[in-house]
Amino acid sequence: MISRRNALNTLAAAALAMSVGVSALPAQAAEDTIKVGVLHSLSGTMAISETTLKDSVLMMIDKLNKDGGLLGRQVEAVVVDPASNWPLFAEKARELIQVNKVDVVFGCWTSVSRKSVLPVFEELNSMLFYPVQYEGEESSRNVFYTGAAPNQQAIPAVEYLMSEDGGGAKRFILLGTDYVYPRTTNKILRAFLHSKGIGDADIMEEYTPFGHSDWQTIVASVKKFASAGIRTAVVSTINGDANVPFYKELANQGIKAEDIPVIAFSVGEEELAGLDTKPLVGHLGAWNYFMSVDAPENDEFIKTWHAFIGDEKRVTNDPMEATYIGFRMWTQAVKQAGTTDVDAVRQAMYGQKVKNLTGGMAVMNTNHHLSKPVLIGEIQADGQFDVVWQTEGEVAGDAWSDFIPESAALTADWTYPWICGNCRKPNYTN
Amino acid sequence: MQLKTSTWLFAVLLAAVTIIVPILNLAVPETSPLHFPTYGLSLFGKYLSFALLALSVDLIWGFCGILSLGHGAFFALGGYAMGMHLMRQIGDRGVYGNAELPDFMVFLDWQELPWYWYGFDSFAFAMAMVMLAPGVLAFVFGWFAFRSRVSGVYLSIITQAMTFALMLAFFRNDMGFGGNNGLTDFKELLGFDLRSQSTRVALFMASGTALLAGFVLCRMIVASKLGKILVGIRDAESRTRFLGYRVEHYKLFVFTLSAVMAGIAGALYVPQVGIINPGEFAPANSIEIVVWVALGGRGTLIGAIMGAVLVNLTKSYLTAAFPEIWLFALGGLFVGVTLFLPKGIAGSFGLARLIGARGQP
Amino acid sequence: MLRRIIILSLLLFAAAANHSPARAEQSDQMADLLQGLTAKSFKAKIAAVETLAASGDSRVVAPLTALLEGRLHRRKADGAIVIVQRQDGRKIFLDALTGTPLGEAKPRASRKIRVNNRLRGVLHGALGALTLFSPDPAQRLTAAQAMFKSAGADSLSPLAKAYLQETDGDVRQVLARTLAAARLRHGGDEEKLAAAKMLADYPDREVRDLLANTALQAQDKLLAAVTVASKSIEQRLAFFDVLQNLFQGISLSSVLLLAAIGLAITFGVMGVINMAHGEMVMLGAYTTHVVQVLVQEYFPGAFTHSLLLAIPSAFLIAGLFGVFLERSVIRFLYGRPLETLLATWGLSLMLQQFVRSIFGPTNKEVIAPSWMSGSIEITGGLVLTHNRIWIIVFAALVFLLLTLLIRYTDFGLRMRAVTQNRTMANSVGIRSNWIDAMTFGLGSGVAGLAGVALSQIDNVSPNLGQSYIIDSFLVVVFGGVGNLWGTMVGALSLGLANKFLEPYAGAVLGKILILVLVILFIQKRPRGLFALKGRAAEA
Repeated sequence: MISRRNALNTLAAAALAMSVGVSALPAQAAEDTIKVGVLHSLSGTMAISETTLKDSVLMMIDKLNKDGGLLGRQVEAVVVDPASNWPLFAEKARELIQVNKVDVVFGCWTSVSRKSVLPVFEELNSMLFYPVQYEGEESSRNVFYTGAAPNQQAIPAVEYLMSEDGGGAKRFILLGTDYVYPRTTNKILRAFLHSKGIGDADIMEEYTPFGHSDWQTIVASVKKFASAGIRTAVVSTINGDANVPFYKELANQGIKAEDIPVIAFSVGEEELAGLDTKPLVGHLGAWNYFMSVDAPENDEFIKTWHAFIGDEKRVTNDPMEATYIGFRMWTQAVKQAGTTDVDAVRQAMYGQKVKNLTGGMAVMNTNHHLSKPVLIGEIQADGQFDVVWQTEGEVAGDAWSDFIPESAALTADWTYPWICGNCRKPNYTN
Repeated sequence: MQLKTSTWLFAVLLAAVTIIVPILNLAVPETSPLHFPTYGLSLFGKYLSFALLALSVDLIWGFCGILSLGHGAFFALGGYAMGMHLMRQIGDRGVYGNAELPDFMVFLDWQELPWYWYGFDSFAFAMAMVMLAPGVLAFVFGWFAFRSRVSGVYLSIITQAMTFALMLAFFRNDMGFGGNNGLTDFKELLGFDLRSQSTRVALFMASGTALLAGFVLCRMIVASKLGKILVGIRDAESRTRFLGYRVEHYKLFVFTLSAVMAGIAGALYVPQVGIINPGEFAPANSIEIVVWVALGGRGTLIGAIMGAVLVNLTKSYLTAAFPEIWLFALGGLFVGVTLFLPKGIAGSFGLARLIGARGQP
Repeated sequence: MLRRIIILSLLLFAAAANHSPARAEQSDQMADLLQGLTAKSFKAKIAAVETLAASGDSRVVAPLTALLEGRLHRRKADGAIVIVQRQDGRKIFLDALTGTPLGEAKPRASRKIRVNNRLRGVLHGALGALTLFSPDPAQRLTAAQAMFKSAGADSLSPLAKAYLQETDGDVRQVLARTLAAARLRHGGDEEKLAAAKMLADYPDREVRDLLANTALQAQDKLLAAVTVASKSIEQRLAFFDVLQNLFQGISLSSVLLLAAIGLAITFGVMGVINMAHGEMVMLGAYTTHVVQVLVQEYFPGAFTHSLLLAIPSAFLIAGLFGVFLERSVIRFLYGRPLETLLATWGLSLMLQQFVRSIFGPTNKEVIAPSWMSGSIEITGGLVLTHNRIWIIVFAALVFLLLTLLIRYTDFGLRMRAVTQNRTMANSVGIRSNWIDAMTFGLGSGVAGLAGVALSQIDNVSPNLGQSYIIDSFLVVVFGGVGNLWGTMVGALSLGLANKFLEPYAGAVLGKILILVLVILFIQKRPRGLFALKGRAAEA
C-alpha cells in the first residue's frame, strides 16, 4: 500500500526525465553568424581518421574569419560527435540542420555514414560536402563529393601497374575489407581487367572483416598466388585500422615491392604515421594528393596546418585536401551567390574552380564530382610518398561507372536539361 | 492478479506521453513554446523503442537472473525483418530502377532475389518475421543452453559470442543483407511516406503503445505465480529445481518472450532512424543495454525504461554539447551510479519500495 | 625538354658503346653518365644505370647504392650529382664519384633523384654484378641473392667464375641457385635441362615462380624437366604449408594467451567482469611507445633495446593503474560481479577518451627493433617471422612465471587462499584487502605486458583494447574460469582451430565457425574445459 504523495513522486520523477529531454535539445543559436556543421566521428573506431578532418575544417574556418569572414559575417563551426555510430550520424545530421540551423555540413568518412545521412539531407534540402574517396554509384542533389570516384583512383592505378614502368603486372590479387567500397571497386576492376584480356584465373579476390589483425594466412597465400611465373601485383582496398598489422606482416614476411608491389587506395600519410616504413619502400598508393608534392600552395597549406595543430610532425593527406577544396569552393560559391541559401549556392557551385594543392585546377562538375589529377606514389623510408606517375591533366569524376552494366546507362547531371542524379533520359524539370 | 497503483500510474503516464506529445507537435503552432519539434519526436520515438528493449532485458535479468550480453542481436534481427520489408516497398524507385532487386544486390551482380527475402513484400509476413526470427533464435539457443544448465557468466559470454558471430555474418556481403551498409534509403511504410510528419507521429505513437503494452505485460508476468517462480530461479536456482519446477522451461519461456519483445523494439526503431546495419549486433551495443537497465534499476521495469531514456538523452545531449570529452561524462556517470546508487535510479531516492522493486540477489 | 632528353640518352648510349678512353677522360665521362640519372623518364634512368653498371667501374657502386637508398640528389645550384650523408647529426653533400665532402646540405638546396620499383630492381641487379667479387662475404651473399632475378646472359660466365672461386659455404649455396637460374634463362639447351633438375633442390616460392615462368615458354624435353622439378617443389611446399599453418596457429594462440591471461586473473580468479581489461592492454602499448620516444630522445644508442625497458615499465604502469582502480572503484563492488561490469565499462570509455585526449586519435608508431623485424627462412618455403617467434617465447615466459608465482610464492599462496575462502583467509591473518589490490594489479600488469607484445603487430591506437576484449573473454570462458592452464589450452585450441579453418573458410567464416563451435562446446561442458570442482564451483 502506498500513499498518494509517493505515487505523485513517481510521476514527478518520470516527468522530470522527460522534461530534461526537452530542455536538453540545444538552444537556438544567434542569427548573425554563418554556421558550418562538422559531422565527423571524434570517438569510436573512425575517430582515428575523422578527427583530422574536423581539425581541418576548423582550421579553414579560423583562417576565413581572420580574413574577414564571409559576406561580412563571421563563420561559426558547430561540431558534434556521431561516435562512429551510423544511426547516430542521421540523428546528428538532423540536429545540425533543424536545431542548429547550419548552412552547410562538412562530414562523413565511411560510405555507410553517408548512406545514413543522405535521406536527411535530401528531405531537409541541405548541403553536405563529402571528402573521402568512395565507390561511386551515387549522385545526390544535396551532396558534393570532393574525394575520388573509382575512375580517379582505382583504374589509373591498375593501368599504371600494367604499364612498363609499373612492372607490367598480368596477375592481380584484390584484397579488401568486406564492405561496399572494396566490393564495388573490385567489381569495377575485374571488369576492367577482363577488358584488358586478363582472365579470372589470374585474379584472386579476398575479403577480411573490419579491424582484421592476423594477416599471416593471407600474406602467405599472396606469396603462393604470386609464384606462378607471371608478374603479380596486389591491389589493396583494406580499410583503416587493419592496414598497420597488414603492412607489418608484409614487411616481416619479406614481400618486396620489386617482386610483388602492393598498391593501396586507403593508405595515406596518416596511416603510415603509425608504421616503420623502411621495409615497405616501393609499395604504392594512388591518391589525388600527396604531402610530398613540391608546390607553393602545398607548402602554404602544410605551414598553416602545423601552426594550427601546434605539432610539426603531423602529416597532411588526401581527404584533407578534399576538405580544403570543398571548403574553398563553398566559400567562393557563397560569395558568388551572395547568400548561403542552399539552392542558390548549389547553382553557383557548378564550374567553381579551386587551385589543387598539387598544382592545376580542381573543377566542380554538374554531377557533383570534381575534376582532379591522379597521382601514384611509392612509399619512402620517411613515411612519405614519392610521386612516380601522374595523369597529364585533370580527370573528371564519374558518378556511374562504365564498367558496371547497370550503371553505365545512367547519367548524373544536375543542370538543365537533365536535372537528375540517376537518369536514363533528361528530366527537363525539377 | 492485482497490479499495484504505481504500475497503473506509470502506465497512465506512458499513455499520456503517447497522446500528448503528438498533440503538442501537430496541433500547437511552431511559434508556441509548448510546440514539440518534429526533430524531437523522432528522437523520442527512438528512445521509446530503446526503452522497450531495456524492458525486455530487465524481464530476464532483473527477474530471472539471466544476464544476456547478446540482446542486441534480437533487437537487430527484428530490425532487419522490418528493414527487409521497407526495402521491398522501395520497388523500382531505387537508383537502378530495378523492381526485382534492391540496389545493393544489383551492383553486386545478384541475379535473383535470394529465397530468404521471399514474402517480405507482405507487411503481415514481415511483422510475423519480426517476432519469429528473434523468437526462434532465442528458443533454439535457450533450449540448448538452459537444458545444459549453462548459467552465470558462461551464459553471458556465449550470448556475447552469438551476437558477435551474427555481426560478422551480417557484415559479409555474400549474406545478402547489404553488408556493412545494411539496409537504408527507405521510402514508405504501408503506403505512408516515411518522411512526412504524420507518419513520424504515427510511429511515435506506435512505439509508445508497444512500450505501454510491453510494460503492462511484464508487470502482469512478474506479479503472477510465474513471476514468483522466476524470482525463485533468480535467487536460488537449485532450490527451485529441487522443489520440482522445471527451471529450464521457465527460463526458456521468458528468454524467448524477451527476445520477441526486443525484436518488436527493433522493428519500431528502424523506420524512425532510417537505417539498419550490422553495427547493431556489436557486442558493445548489447553491453550498453545492460548498462541502461543497471543504471535505471535492475528488477524494477520502470527503472529499465527510465534508464534507457535517460542514458540516450544524455548521450544525445553530450555528443552535441561536448563532442570532445563526452565519453568522460558518460563513463563517469556509469561509474558514479554503480558506486553511489547501487540499486540504480529507480531503486534509490526512496523510490524502490514505492514502485514495487524486489530485493536484489 | 623532351628533345634534350632524347639527345642526352642517345649520347649516353653512344658513350656506353665507346669503351676504351683514357683514365682522366673516364672520370669526366663518368660524371656525364651520372647526369643521365636525372632524366625525367624512368626508361632513360634505367638505361643510364645499365650503362654505368656496364662500365664495371667500382666507383659507381657508391652513387648507385645512394640512389637505391634515396640519398642521391641533384644540387640545384650547379646541377652536380651529390650524395647526401648524415654526419654528426647534420647532413652534408659528398661528391658522388670521389666521396669528397662538399659542404653542408641545406634543405631544398637539392632535389632527390627518384626511383621506382622497376629501377630499384635494375639497381639491385646492377649492384649485384658489381659486388659479386667483393672481399666482404656478406656483400657477396647479397649480390648473389639480388642476381637471382636479374642475371642476364652476360653474367653467366662471371657467375660461374664466382661460384668456382667461392670459399664461403653459404654464399656458394646461394650462388649455385642463382647460377642455375641464370642458366635456365640464358644457357644452352643442355645447360637448361641440368639447371631445371638442379633447381628442384631449392623448394621455395621464388624458384617455383621461375620454373612456372619458364614452363610458359618451354617445349619438349625442357618442358618435361621443368614440370618434374615444379611438381617436386610443389609437394615439398605443400608439406611446408602445414608446418607454416601450425606456426601461424601457435603464433595466434600466443597473442590470444597474452591478451587473455591477465583477464584470467582479474575475471577468473577474482570474479571481476573487467571490461576495462582491453584498456589495460592499450596502456601497455602506449607505455611502449612513450618509452621508445624517451629512449630515442635521451639514449639513442640503446634504441634497439628500448623494448626490453618497455616490458617492466608497461607492467608497472598498468599494474599501478590496476591497483588504483581496485582501491578507488572495484573494492566497493565485490560480491556484485555484474556491477563490476557496469563500472568497468564506464572506466573503459573514460580510459579510451583519456588516451585520445593526450596522445591524439591517430596511430602511434612503435618501431620494431632490428632483432624483431624480418624473418628466418627455414628451407625456403617455410618462413618464420622474428616478431612472431619472440611473441611466442614471450607468452610462454609470462605464462610460466605467472604459474610459478601463483604456485610457489607466499603471495601466490595467499592469493589462492583469499580466492577459495575469504573469511577463512581473513581469520588466519591474511590481509585480504591488500591481496585483492595486489591480485588486480597483477592481472592489470600482465595485461600491460600483452600491450608491449601487441604493439609489435597491431595498431597502437585508442581502440586497441576493444578489438581483443571479446576474444579474451571467450578464451577464459572456454578454458574454464579460474584456471590458468585452462586459459592456456583455450588459447591454443582457438588459435590453432582458427588458423587451420582460415585457408578453407576464409577469414570471416572461419571466425564465425570458431564462435559457433565455442557456443556448442559450452553446451557440452557448461563450465569450460577445466571446470573447477567442489565447493568453489558452486560459488
